[in-house]
Amino acid sequence: MRNLHPAISFSYFAFVILITVVFMHPVTLCISLISALLYAIYLNGIKSLRLTLLVLVPMMLLAAIINPLFNHLGNTVLITVGSLQITLESTLYGLSTAGMLAAVILWFSCYNKIMTSDKFTYLFGKIIPSVSLIISMTLRFIPRYLSQMKKITYAQQAIGRDLNSGHLIDRIRSGGDILSIMVTWALENGVDTADSMRSRGYGLKGRSSYSLYKLDSRDKLLAAFSLYLAIMVIVGIALRLISISYFPWITLNPFSIPALLIYLAFLLLCLFPLLLDGFEELKWRSSRSRI
Amino acid sequence: MALFTLKDLSFTYPQQPKQALSAVYMVVEKGEFVVLCGRSGCGKSTLLRHLKTVLTPHGKHQGEILFDNRPLAQVDLREQSSRIGFVLQSPENQIVTDKVWHELAFGLESLGCDTATIRLRVAEMASFFGIQEWYHKDVNELSGGQKQLLNLAAVMVMQPDVLVLDEPTAQLDPIAAAEFLNQLKKINDETGTTIIIAEQRLEVVLPLADKVVVLADGKVLAQGDVSAISTRLNVTKSPMLKAFPAAARVFLAMEDQTDDACTAGSPKGEHFNREYRGDARFNCDSSIATCPITIREGRDWLMRELAATQSQPSSDQLAQPQMLSTLPPAPPSPVHAENPSDASTVVAGAKEVWFRYERKGADILRGLSLEIHQSELFCLLGGNGTGKSTTLGVLAGLLKPYRGKVWLEKQASSANTLAATDDLLQNKLAAFTSAESTAARGGLCLLPQDSQTIFTEKTIRDDLLTMFTNPKSDISLARADSIAELLEIDTLLDRHPFDVSVGEQQRAALAKVLLREPQILLLDEPTKGLDAAFKEQLAAILEKLKARGVSILMVSHDIEFCAAYADRCAMLFDGDVVSQSATRQFFVGNSFYTTAANRLSRGLVENVVTAEDIIKHLSTLNERQSKSGFPSSSNKLSGTSSVRARS
Repeated sequence: MRNLHPAISFSYFAFVILITVVFMHPVTLCISLISALLYAIYLNGIKSLRLTLLVLVPMMLLAAIINPLFNHLGNTVLITVGSLQITLESTLYGLSTAGMLAAVILWFSCYNKIMTSDKFTYLFGKIIPSVSLIISMTLRFIPRYLSQMKKITYAQQAIGRDLNSGHLIDRIRSGGDILSIMVTWALENGVDTADSMRSRGYGLKGRSSYSLYKLDSRDKLLAAFSLYLAIMVIVGIALRLISISYFPWITLNPFSIPALLIYLAFLLLCLFPLLLDGFEELKWRSSRSRI
Repeated sequence: MALFTLKDLSFTYPQQPKQALSAVYMVVEKGEFVVLCGRSGCGKSTLLRHLKTVLTPHGKHQGEILFDNRPLAQVDLREQSSRIGFVLQSPENQIVTDKVWHELAFGLESLGCDTATIRLRVAEMASFFGIQEWYHKDVNELSGGQKQLLNLAAVMVMQPDVLVLDEPTAQLDPIAAAEFLNQLKKINDETGTTIIIAEQRLEVVLPLADKVVVLADGKVLAQGDVSAISTRLNVTKSPMLKAFPAAARVFLAMEDQTDDACTAGSPKGEHFNREYRGDARFNCDSSIATCPITIREGRDWLMRELAATQSQPSSDQLAQPQMLSTLPPAPPSPVHAENPSDASTVVAGAKEVWFRYERKGADILRGLSLEIHQSELFCLLGGNGTGKSTTLGVLAGLLKPYRGKVWLEKQASSANTLAATDDLLQNKLAAFTSAESTAARGGLCLLPQDSQTIFTEKTIRDDLLTMFTNPKSDISLARADSIAELLEIDTLLDRHPFDVSVGEQQRAALAKVLLREPQILLLDEPTKGLDAAFKEQLAAILEKLKARGVSILMVSHDIEFCAAYADRCAMLFDGDVVSQSATRQFFVGNSFYTTAANRLSRGLVENVVTAEDIIKHLSTLNERQSKSGFPSSSNKLSGTSSVRARS
């Protein structure tokens, strides 16, 4: 997945996340959530997941609880507390929302791991070249400015002016001092950068955008395969082979062979990155063992 | 074929009465390696910037610049972008993008090349420069030397006919600088790319040069091959000579002496006169005995010279020096050498200090111990990554060692502090002392490598005044003025700290630090990017501070500076001091990590640290020879230095 062409990775994540958000079918949600969880574990390891869960679980609970409290649609009343009617439909809807949120967050954590900044820059550079350069320059200069700020603070400490201590007002003032000198510094050094850019022909007409990525045959094959699965899912939804409606009462599509096929297609699509990476790892290991 | 022809080029910056360049005439042939030298502010950058239209400063221009026999202004910008490559001083500022590969592609993207072309050219350059290993890296992860190589490569991908470089190694350490310059030589040799470079490191760059152009005050002082240039500068007694390689300096000084000593009838003197005194003003393309530039040439010359003074006048002048009967005693081993300043009091030190930045990281300091003595200049030398800056951080208390002790004598005699010796303010001192906080006073201050990080205000005066609790009082103003005078920045007080030259910037930063009245001053690479004249000025200031009782510890790569001015030197390696002794012993004891003059004379003349030592030695030899009329024996030579044959 990492060395897949950025356009494919990006469209893949976009599609899966879109389906997860828009189509809140319990089966597809479960598929999406479990696949996202597995892939996130694969990419980030169990440890980092603990942190994610720390945020995820309370958020899920909140979504699951708040929805039935404020949403009174639905015909099946479970409990009545005073004037408050809690319905089965809104409770289930809340749970689905919670699952959806969790899945989306997990997918995004995978997305971040796969779609590094340069891939993103490349993709959008294709569309607007100047934007790609601006992003790249920003990524260059933010760490630079931060390190210069650190250096200034360090230097001031070294001559006995501790900018992190003293009254709040003192600190605000010294923070302002640093900020103002940073602006001067940035402008001063920016002149050099501008010279370097102009000297290398920046501003000439017809700028092109170079990237490291090539669309190879493997990319095309995998793209075709996942596109096929995606079309199956879309057709299934469009033909209402799988469908869900929560209000006024829950109506789920009846179980059928075509529906099962579509679930399978979605499952395959969601597990696609994991299968791909797993397959490549296996291949790598076996090729190594042969050496 | 001339690539660049500058005819009577003059230039004046707006609202400046003086011309920055006046009537510069210069021809650069295709494939030439041209070195442009001169003091800071002599117009080197201004001249170089005239070689590319987009970089040419605004102002009043006169004269003509021809590029490939066409006026430069008529060469269209697209052609200039690719054919004239420009590398500036700061490795950091020139990099535009966040990834190495993107930076390499930047120029070609501007020209609108397609992906396949860019891929090929970038691949070629990355291989030529050995960049493959860091091709995918973030530029932030690169070292200064790597960054500058990247800048060079990023220009080279456009396949320029000429590379113009404006002090490209000023911010680099000696090893990275040498690597960079050798890379230039490789480009010049293997692709025939013309190179025009302004440079301070003449030791390294002069041997590479086909032609040298010396600028002074916007005028061409001399141009020609290295040997001719050095002789010509010698005749005019140009201060530029101080920056020349040790071999050339010794040669020229001796040339001078023979010239003075010889009567008008002496063949050497006559030749000298004819060639250099009456000749053309600018171009001096021939020379008599070729002036040695490299250490090797210098050694050859020195051997001949010594042989000449030792052998019988009638015998072969080029004979090897005879084996002398008594070899001089070997210099005492620096490790066991006794410190001459042992008697003086120790004001601060570190004992078996261990330090690392991250819990699981590698140790940067590994049992470091050192002592700083009262009123001395103590230099800590060492390569990159040996922990020099970390040592300063630990001594300054900014970094906390996890083992070992850093200590500071609390009662370092306060009678010697700056303010106390300041006659002007003697009477106001009492009030001043009580008003000031005692936090860092009488203590220890660190001047970081990048002086720009010291300033926080809009003018140097305001900046100095921020060091006082009561900046508006007369005492504060008077103190700021007196310190400015001490550091020779009193005329710059109303300028913005970023608008003055590197050397001035550094002195302003030093002034600010000194307002803390530190007993101990820590300097991080203070000679970086300074030209020979600024270095001398810095040395004079350090001398003044020492006289006022300040102890100075500086870390540096600059061997020559330390050899000339330090009291004690130490070498840092692998987080610990491996050798520590008085300057002379230190450099005489080392064989590689030592001055050019020492390497020049190793095995030929003992106990040499600076070029002046060799000059002194040779002139005593000459004197003896001319007095006695026949060869001096070894017994007579046992003066400050002695001679032995090269085995």
